Amino acid sequence: MTLTFDQIKNLLSFVAVTTDDTLDCDDCFSHVAQFAETKLSGLGVSESMKLVQTHLENCPCCKDEFQALLAAMAEVDE
Amino acid sequence: MNSESKVSWVDRLDPDHPEREQAVEELRAYLVRGLRAALTPRGASNEFCEDIAHDSIIKILDKKSTFEGRSKFTTWAMSISIRTGISAFRRRHFQDVSLDAITEGGLKFDPADMAQGNPEDGMDREAILKKLQELIESELTDKQRTVVRALLGGMPVEEIASRTDSNRNAVYKLFHDARQRLKKGFLAANFSESDMMNALSS
Repeated sequence: MTLTFDQIKNLLSFVAVTTDDTLDCDDCFSHVAQFAETKLSGLGVSESMKLVQTHLENCPCCKDEFQALLAAMAEVDE
Repeated sequence: MNSESKVSWVDRLDPDHPEREQAVEELRAYLVRGLRAALTPRGASNEFCEDIAHDSIIKILDKKSTFEGRSKFTTWAMSISIRTGISAFRRRHFQDVSLDAITEGGLKFDPADMAQGNPEDGMDREAILKKLQELIESELTDKQRTVVRALLGGMPVEEIASRTDSNRNAVYKLFHDARQRLKKGFLAANFSESDMMNALSS
């Protein structure tokens, strides 16, 4: 089965937005709770937290988990 | 619960603490609320969320000595629970999907067929698609092509890892390196990031 139009579009988008990423998924996970609190507080992201942000922008699976964590925290912090 | 300190949660969850049972129940209820909010929209049942909260509590108790206090304990615990829940959800969703099935056909496509109807900015859609095809063949390894194809098919990184005797970090690195190689090739051929983003927009 050949790639669909949408799959090629997704691939080109993934390629366009990719940046240098010094973290792996486990590194990201070990800091994601702190990053979620920073985002929910509306405070600026520190230099060290920018590495987490970069990984989340590059890794669709970690980004998916992060968005789920934000949804969970929004509920329990109400 | 939000004002709870690291010390109080870690202490209360200690096996010898008189409030341990109460603390575990409070934490379980807290996790269930978060899991329902995060996973119910994805189709998870209440029973599934309860099961995940139970599994998460075991992991959290096992790992609590590694909690470093960079966030609230409850946020840290929720992050473990969410990852546990989403991993289980992904595993269940892809349990009957083989890597061979999802990567069938590889990264092949017909640039001329896909290029019908150029974007309004006049960019040559077929040229960028031909370049993509060329770079996939010349710059990516077989492993990278497999990982990219599986991800484009919707299979998550950890599920690819479980089917390739690898781990999540290694699969992510293959994917990331593949994207960087493709991007480097595009930039070297004078295609911009904007060209890549807009090539298939109508």
